[in-house]
Amino acid sequence: MSSDDEGAVVDGSEQDTPEAATVSGQQAATDTGNPFTTATDSLLQVSGLDAGYGDLQILEGVDLNVEAGEYVTVVGPNGAGKSTVMKSIFGLTTLMGGRVEFGGADITGEKPEDVIHLGLGYVPQSDNIFPSLSVLENLEMGAYILDEVPQEQLEAVFDRFPILEERKGQTAGNLSGGQQQMLAMGRALMLDPDLLLLDEPSAGLAPDLVDDMFDRIDRINDGGTAILMVEQNAKEALRRCDRGYVLVQGENRFMDRGTALLNDEQVRREFLGG
Amino acid sequence: MVLSDTYSDARRTLVERPAVVLLGLVIGYLLVDLAAKLAGTTVDVAGVQLLGGSTAVSQVARYVLDGLIVGLVIGLAGVGLSMTYSILSFANFAHGDYITTGAFSGWFAAYLVAFVTLNVDAPFGNVFLVNAPSLVSVVNAPLAVLIGLVASGVLTVAVVLFLDRIVYKPMRDKGGIPLLIASIGVALALRYAIVFVFGTGTRGVTETGSIPSVDIPVVDGYVPLNAHEVTLIVAAVSLMFGVHFLLQRTKLGKAMRAMADNKDLAQVTGIPTERVVRTTWIIGGGLAGIAGFLIVLERGTLNYNIGWRLLLLIFSGVILGGIGSVYGAIGGGIVIGIASRLSLVWIPSDFARVVAFAVMILVLLYRPSGLFGGVKTA
Repeated sequence: MSSDDEGAVVDGSEQDTPEAATVSGQQAATDTGNPFTTATDSLLQVSGLDAGYGDLQILEGVDLNVEAGEYVTVVGPNGAGKSTVMKSIFGLTTLMGGRVEFGGADITGEKPEDVIHLGLGYVPQSDNIFPSLSVLENLEMGAYILDEVPQEQLEAVFDRFPILEERKGQTAGNLSGGQQQMLAMGRALMLDPDLLLLDEPSAGLAPDLVDDMFDRIDRINDGGTAILMVEQNAKEALRRCDRGYVLVQGENRFMDRGTALLNDEQVRREFLGG
Repeated sequence: MVLSDTYSDARRTLVERPAVVLLGLVIGYLLVDLAAKLAGTTVDVAGVQLLGGSTAVSQVARYVLDGLIVGLVIGLAGVGLSMTYSILSFANFAHGDYITTGAFSGWFAAYLVAFVTLNVDAPFGNVFLVNAPSLVSVVNAPLAVLIGLVASGVLTVAVVLFLDRIVYKPMRDKGGIPLLIASIGVALALRYAIVFVFGTGTRGVTETGSIPSVDIPVVDGYVPLNAHEVTLIVAAVSLMFGVHFLLQRTKLGKAMRAMADNKDLAQVTGIPTERVVRTTWIIGGGLAGIAGFLIVLERGTLNYNIGWRLLLLIFSGVILGGIGSVYGAIGGGIVIGIASRLSLVWIPSDFARVVAFAVMILVLLYRPSGLFGGVKTA
């Protein structure tokens, strides 16, 4: 990781007040008029998002974008609202303000069943498979909105996760934790989405499986699918992504290239444990 | 090693779960007693008859067959109750009155057909209100029975969808308890709407004189089986296979199982949840209605309480099988049916229902996930 140190532009240490948005690196140079947005015509464009559950507001003016093929992570302390960002994009929260655009279409507050065919896939953090269905049936459900199960895509998922093909007839609930996570991703990939939302893919995995999971996500991204990932495992996530956001108390605090955030003094001190 | 494990397991069971041991002893006693009764021997200790007596094998066989018939009806109706429980997350107390709805609408249709096809001398008004006594059998009016069967399903589905639209749909997100309470209101409203039209009287509807019956030879006698019972068995078993096919082989059926597993995930996967809910009502309501028609075909009498009285047995069956599981509902229903009839060996028929509820309470206490628990959903 020391090799990254030189490449990173570190200016967060000059900021004294954590409230001030700290933006650095090459991405920030793009002139969008918003310190948290690298382009105005991205694949996913979230602007000024206020959202929560019922009367409880969690997100306050979150700006975020993901460009086509990009790998973006959102890190931050517990309760920062990371998962809420994901759910809000997918229309699963109470929206109080702001705008969500995907592929140029306004999807603010749209129901999941109306969004999914646009090319947006979502893997929730837990309970992300249908345990009593077989592995194959889980994957078929992923393509429910299509008239026929897309055999090519099914093959592609099996190529990516060969264990799923071996166990396709088994009841999904009997798979191991890592295999269930693969199945959840496979299910979301059945529609070959342009953007995959991953909510804490490493949660609940045995430590020796975490690296493997991140490798697989890298490969999904290499295939051209943009990734927006929320992770508790911040260091590893930032090391692997193109760009990262640090979310604190429902607000953006930092945005930069992942390696730059990793080396940012203030980010390290406050959010990465030194 | 293995032996000592077994020993310590047994010891632990004995100490930690005395009620299980007691239950085992009671069941063991009943089995021995049944064997003794069938053999016609008695065991006396100090002049007190401990067990045994005399019961004909054919009599026990008749109880089992009766139980199977009732059990198929309970299981058929239980499928819908279990599905609505797992997909809509509430215990629908109106389900029993869906059965009554099916019984009345089916026999209403059957009577209309019979009025046209048979030479009925009863006034049309009486036929219209299913008051003309004992008109229809599978022999004298097979078309009326067939149309009644279909009508019981179709009309019940119509009522069930209407009730969902005006009561349950607006409350979809309110949670299980408010929905349960609303369903009790729906049950009473539906029951007394039926009473308002058809009255509270119990009427005989099947023409029993001419139904063919076969006597199946059993060791020491015969078990009679008539054409109406055969009709019920064939219809119920076919429908159960139909449900199995639907759930395992069709896209919508798989989506129903998926939604029963995990509603939120079903939603983000793009499964049209409202469509799945509607299908659930159609299948569950249709089966309940047909179950109502069939049980009346077998019993021969119809009244406004028939579904409500069955509902408690259905709940027992569904809980026994593991609530939320369709196959559990069928299996549990058959077990409850046979247990409640087989209990007639020991207790008078007035108490037979008690057995069903005792079984239900024991299951709730000691195996809340159901006898077939672990094999969830569909």
